Amino acid sequence: MAPGGFFGQALVVDVHAGHATGSRLTLDDQVLRAYLGGVGLGTWLMHRLAPPGVDPLAPQAPLAFVYSSLVGTPLTTSAKFAVVAKSPLTGLLTDALASSQFAISGKLTGHDAIVIRGRADELSVLLIDGDGPRLEPAPDFAGLSAADAETKAKERFGRGWRTAAIGPAGERGVRYATISHDGRHAGRGGLGAVLGAKNIKAVLVKAATKVGVADQAGVLAAAKDLRGRSFGPATAKYRELGTLANLLAFNAVSTLPTRNFTAATFAEAPRLAAEELHELRGVARNSCASCSIGCEHIYARKGGGSQRMEYENVFALGPLCGVSDPDDVFAASARCDELGIDTISAGGTIAWAMECVERGLIEEPWLRFGDGAALLRALDAIGSRAAGLGELLAEGSRRAAERVGHGSLDFAAQVKGLEMPGYEPRSLQSMALGLAVNARGADHNRSGAYEADLSGDVDRFHGGAAHVAAAVQTEDKAAVMDSMILCKFLRGVFDDPFTEWARLLALVTGWDLDADELRTAARRIVRAKRAFNLREGATAADDTLPVRMLETPIELGSGRTAALTADRLRSMVASYYEARGLDQDGRVSATDLADLFL
Amino acid sequence: MLSTLLSPVRGAEGRCRCTGYPRVVGKAAGVVLAGGRSTRMGTAKSELEWHGSTLLYRAAAVMARSVDGPVVVVAAPGQELPELPAGVEVVEDPVDGLGPMQGLAAGLAAVADRADVAFVCSTDLPFLHPAYVRRVLRALTDDIDVVLPVARGFRQPLAAAYQTRIAGLVAKLLAEGNQRPGMIFKHCDVTQLDDAALLADAAVAKYDPELDSVLNVNTPEDYRAARDREPPEVVVERFGALAKGGGHRPKVVRAATIGQAAEVVGLTLDRHVVAALNGDQVTKDGRLPLVAGDAVAFLSADAGG
Repeated sequence: MAPGGFFGQALVVDVHAGHATGSRLTLDDQVLRAYLGGVGLGTWLMHRLAPPGVDPLAPQAPLAFVYSSLVGTPLTTSAKFAVVAKSPLTGLLTDALASSQFAISGKLTGHDAIVIRGRADELSVLLIDGDGPRLEPAPDFAGLSAADAETKAKERFGRGWRTAAIGPAGERGVRYATISHDGRHAGRGGLGAVLGAKNIKAVLVKAATKVGVADQAGVLAAAKDLRGRSFGPATAKYRELGTLANLLAFNAVSTLPTRNFTAATFAEAPRLAAEELHELRGVARNSCASCSIGCEHIYARKGGGSQRMEYENVFALGPLCGVSDPDDVFAASARCDELGIDTISAGGTIAWAMECVERGLIEEPWLRFGDGAALLRALDAIGSRAAGLGELLAEGSRRAAERVGHGSLDFAAQVKGLEMPGYEPRSLQSMALGLAVNARGADHNRSGAYEADLSGDVDRFHGGAAHVAAAVQTEDKAAVMDSMILCKFLRGVFDDPFTEWARLLALVTGWDLDADELRTAARRIVRAKRAFNLREGATAADDTLPVRMLETPIELGSGRTAALTADRLRSMVASYYEARGLDQDGRVSATDLADLFL
Repeated sequence: MLSTLLSPVRGAEGRCRCTGYPRVVGKAAGVVLAGGRSTRMGTAKSELEWHGSTLLYRAAAVMARSVDGPVVVVAAPGQELPELPAGVEVVEDPVDGLGPMQGLAAGLAAVADRADVAFVCSTDLPFLHPAYVRRVLRALTDDIDVVLPVARGFRQPLAAAYQTRIAGLVAKLLAEGNQRPGMIFKHCDVTQLDDAALLADAAVAKYDPELDSVLNVNTPEDYRAARDREPPEVVVERFGALAKGGGHRPKVVRAATIGQAAEVVGLTLDRHVVAALNGDQVTKDGRLPLVAGDAVAFLSADAGG
């Protein structure tokens, strides 16, 4: 019998020609307890089901939607799902989380995960309910945005279905295409391209069953308590202004990457700031399914319509490209949503191209920093994979730089091929390590090491032992939150996180686990991700930052400069390996491999 | 060997976008002498209360934000010191009773392997301003051993800049029985800065026009007068959830510490609220001193995500 909150099985769907067949993969208690669900379980599934060395866009490459024991419970922020695959952008493991009713309906098909392999003959949609999977041709969905595909699916198949879809960029294999449902995106690493390569425009799920928890009364009480805490000061930032509140604050502390990471402050940041826009443009606030925080802030667009804005899309399509007109940034964000591409990778790749144009390495003189119209034109070229620039930039900044050459890889702001988020590593040196060693690549969601840099507890300009400890701790916390799954915006409400999380999981599953076991699970999940990457050819040389970050100091608003040398980063990486029990080349020991239950 | 007074230098420094302060001098250490006898004060000056901390805390913190190198407090043998800002080191004089020369020797020796130059000050300068420290340090070129301000009518050897390479010379003079700092200047290349030269620096002129940086407190009356002064004017900005109702727009307040500035705008530094001074380090330490012209940003400690 499966533990509470779980079905103890994954559905493995093989798509071939015009058909989909499903088989059950048993997930025993040991695996579920070792990996918790979500990103952790998805990692285990990739170890099991992805052929070593598989091309991420090949039919054999699996793509997994993964749930957790908490999905469907009344615990706030628990309606989340992970999408896990080998990334076409990095060639390594990628995972992305999204929050919506798709999580609950997908799980209540009766599975803890749905894995898709194969390729349809023509553009299709995949439907999964209690009767298993079936494939429906959908050539008329071609070119639709994810939102329009969702609407069309509702019209054709009825309202009981929940739809996760790709936009036109996913169909065309843009390596940072997204999968979306209800305006939420599994954004990073090109998961939309993986689904598109299977000729699947959308996955539809319909709830067909129920799942019990071990202690219903206990879960209800915990949900009430957690909901109460979610209204407190630890989530105020998200509630009041959303993540865009970071923009002015990051500008004030010189960690707002600007013009392809050539500056850490943006003089025109106030034009894009949540504090200003909220007064001038704020029209609505919204929540994900089952969430009491309500971080989503929606702004009015000039000429009508509205757009949800987050820090990362404003940073990437604004300061990073030197663009300061909020309407240009709103329009660019909306265009990314329509095309179905990751805003961070899109902005990062275009910012790199803008610098290439400045340096005379790309002959597209219209593509200039600060030009909002050029930004939109570049996005369209990417989405359509237009010959020349569109084809080049659709590959992401690392592949594009390898093609352009002339040292342009040095200033391609990416790690392992994933474009960097809006955290300047030279002025946030715990985060610098987090970005360098993370399995997904440059990532702010799987490593929250910036928390230490911004806490006032460490010298953020001089990385050392304290920064390594912070990077390990925040990575461990993220591993648990992304696997059990709870929104990380809740992280501040827990005084003793591992103990409190263990208690929540115990109430749902019936396991008698404690904080120590959860810490062990966190370390296992982090190691499992690394082990997958090592299997796919990653080496210690991948655990680094772009040359620009290591050779060019960045000027701070105070007039001082912050520098991160290659030696300092190497030293921190070495200490990180030691703290993680890895060898000097970042490899997992045989003992630890055995603990992965592969 | 004294050189002539320096001519005013104009426009030589870069400007900070936040505050108008010039750039911090690199490879410079800070040395605070805490071991004086405080005879006229009757109480150890290092322990005198200063807006929630101590005079010594303020001096060390001002040093820490003025230099890029290490900051060292020199204590008398066995002297118990009050709490110091994070990262500040303590060295003890090897010998008691030899006055500031001994402290100078110990302080310079403690930082000589990590910094080429050092600004040396006593504990009892409650209005020492970073702009003054930087102005003095910037005048210290390779061919000069000491920059000695002559401010408000007095030589200021305990608010002056020294090459750390003279640590040995100072120790030698001490060993020869010379306990007065004036002896150093007979054996070194010294540049003096008078009031005009100090005030030629735009930041000093703007934020420390009376050269209060060198105003020391020697008696209880001096201390009370200093303590009763109105705190400096600083600019406060709040961000994110801390900035309701237009609160993110800069606001000028009077505050002697970051904690006071927070209080004025209705905030308390805690696990949810941190501060950044002039866009530099992030801190939760409300005792950190403020000076005229500072810009304090308050932000949510959970920034990010």
